[in-house]
Amino acid sequence: MTNILLVDDEPALIAVLEPVLGAEGYSVAVASGGVPALRMAEDIRPDVVLLDLGLPDIDGKDVIRALRATSEVPIIVISARHQEGEKIAALDHGADDYVNKPFEIGELMARIRAAIRRSSSLKNTPTTYRSGPLEIDFQARRVSLAGDVVKLSPKEYDLLRTLALSAGQVVTHKRLLAVGWGSDTADSQYLRVYIGLLRQKIEEDPSDPRLLATEPGVGYRLASAS
Amino acid sequence: MTTGRPNPLIGFLTARLHLDRAGLLRTAIVLTLSAMAAFAVHPLGEVASALVFVLGITVAGALSGLASALIAALAAFLIYNFYLTEPALTFRIATGGDLAPLVVFNLCALVSGVLAGQLKDHALAARSSNLQLNSLLALSQELQSAARPSDVVVTVERAVHRILGARATLFQADEDGLRCLSPLPCEARWHDFANGIAHAPQVSGDSPLIGRRLELANAPVTVLVLEPLRPGKIKPAFIDAVANMVALTLERAALSEQITERRAVARAEKLKSALLASVSHDFRTPLTAISASASSLIAYGEKLDAETSARLLRGVVDECERLNRYTANLLEMSRMEAGGIAQPLQILGAAEMAGAALHRIRPRAGGRQVTLHAPDPDLPVAANPALFELVLLNILDNAILYSDEGARVEIAISAEDGACRIDIADSGQGIPEHALQRVFERFYRAGRPDTTGRGSGLGLAIAKGFVEALGGTIHATIPGLDGRGTRITIRLPLAEAMQA
Repeated sequence: MTNILLVDDEPALIAVLEPVLGAEGYSVAVASGGVPALRMAEDIRPDVVLLDLGLPDIDGKDVIRALRATSEVPIIVISARHQEGEKIAALDHGADDYVNKPFEIGELMARIRAAIRRSSSLKNTPTTYRSGPLEIDFQARRVSLAGDVVKLSPKEYDLLRTLALSAGQVVTHKRLLAVGWGSDTADSQYLRVYIGLLRQKIEEDPSDPRLLATEPGVGYRLASAS
Repeated sequence: MTTGRPNPLIGFLTARLHLDRAGLLRTAIVLTLSAMAAFAVHPLGEVASALVFVLGITVAGALSGLASALIAALAAFLIYNFYLTEPALTFRIATGGDLAPLVVFNLCALVSGVLAGQLKDHALAARSSNLQLNSLLALSQELQSAARPSDVVVTVERAVHRILGARATLFQADEDGLRCLSPLPCEARWHDFANGIAHAPQVSGDSPLIGRRLELANAPVTVLVLEPLRPGKIKPAFIDAVANMVALTLERAALSEQITERRAVARAEKLKSALLASVSHDFRTPLTAISASASSLIAYGEKLDAETSARLLRGVVDECERLNRYTANLLEMSRMEAGGIAQPLQILGAAEMAGAALHRIRPRAGGRQVTLHAPDPDLPVAANPALFELVLLNILDNAILYSDEGARVEIAISAEDGACRIDIADSGQGIPEHALQRVFERFYRAGRPDTTGRGSGLGLAIAKGFVEALGGTIHATIPGLDGRGTRITIRLPLAEAMQA
């Protein structure tokens, strides 16, 4: 059974998430602050941590740092849209993904599933990715769309591979810049151009992307493997 | 001002040689007396008579100024030469030996007269400029009191009338030309004169009116017009000084108004951004709970048991209620900021209001024990019912937010010295002592960084605004109940006491 540690101090939100996650078949433990969360993470070894950034006791980023010191557990940050900077900092500190408040339960569930899939793929790296018409063979470095081979430059391939290995999860600008240009401080204008090129090659309608979604201000997200 | 003064020497003389009737009379008397004395001492020798004349001229100068001294010197010379030098009764001089004392006498007389006259003139000038300075000082002090541009005109009119004895007003240009700024109607001749000054500042003419165009930065053409009540009393340089002072007053008032406006704008901006931050923060959580609950019911409805479904629905209703209250708080805060208080006022039973608030808060109280203690159920207060309820709910909600399950919350209502006293006490987390005053400030959340607090930080600020607008008081004290928690005490005037 998958254990989820929910770190939140909003009774209203806990009252919703606890029973609904339970009904989905997850086992839920609730911590109402960062300090109890760290203690409980030691005890129950959760498979996923849902972390609200606005905690009463300690900064959410410190919780992430402390968790990362001992484990690779997927961390999904729950944040408000106005906490843009907080959210990016949380991702930089090692959070895996985020949902914006207010969210629909389906969105949160998809994030949880993607996080679990990714964390299990860390143990044995997948050899292929497939979502709709898009197929990637990581060993052969081969990308095809509905069976036809797509020619990608090495940089385009590296970016797509990084996105595919975290399929369903957000990948930050910083990480993509590090992969493509070897420096996470490179101009994100380059990144936009390359994402545009990728979309030209893999999307049916590049102006209405179905596979490669933009997370405004944060990064990009490739659709979950199907 | 240097109008019509091409030659400084002529100017000096015109200014110095002015002699009025009284001065002339004084000179004549002094001259007569010195002539009599000179004749009296003549037997002692011509030199004695001459010295007496020198004394007379000096006195004349000292009494009536330079002009008087010169007249006296000329007259003395003629009298001395005609009557007292040989040959007498002629202007002729007998010998060269007679000429020398005459010349020396005249020089002495002239010099001492000039000196005495100048001294006198200087004293007079000093006194007059002292008077002018005093007037300017008094005027400046009075003008200081004009804080706003609209006050300046009235203040100038009043001050100039009182201190300078002149009628005055200001004209300022707008789209239709010069407009009289006075609250009283302006005469047409004033208006015409002001127009003349506005177009040609040097024009003076023979009008009894005096005008100056004011040197103002960033302001339309402005003209000061004066009419002395006693003609010819005010000097041009003095008018210039007055005009400068009025210009300074106008500029100062305009600046001070600008500063006040900027401050008000900055304050409104600050409040607006705080309100926006509050909206984005406080609305997000209830919205998230509602969105998550509703989408769960849609997506997993059949997987959830009846009790969970009912709880989610209950949660949606509760959070809607919370949003509703936040909205009401924001509206009230904006209204209070605009200086108003919700109307109309009604006579309300305090205990009844508390009962209603209790009824509404109870579903959200969880395992907390909320009780009402009102021995006198009929204490009437005059208030707006919606706002009164909002205030009670805000305080009760704080008591619930900042306490754990099982805590006690108690409302007590009693009469105290003609006031209705409402105590809302809890056995929750309490407020640090240093924050007891500050909890009534907007957006202050005791002991919590601003971004993570659960309340909006508006509830108690609105309670304070409400209570104080009704002439009451509100205080926070610790402890509340059972030696811990918070106690909020409100005192509102009883409705009868207000009518009495």
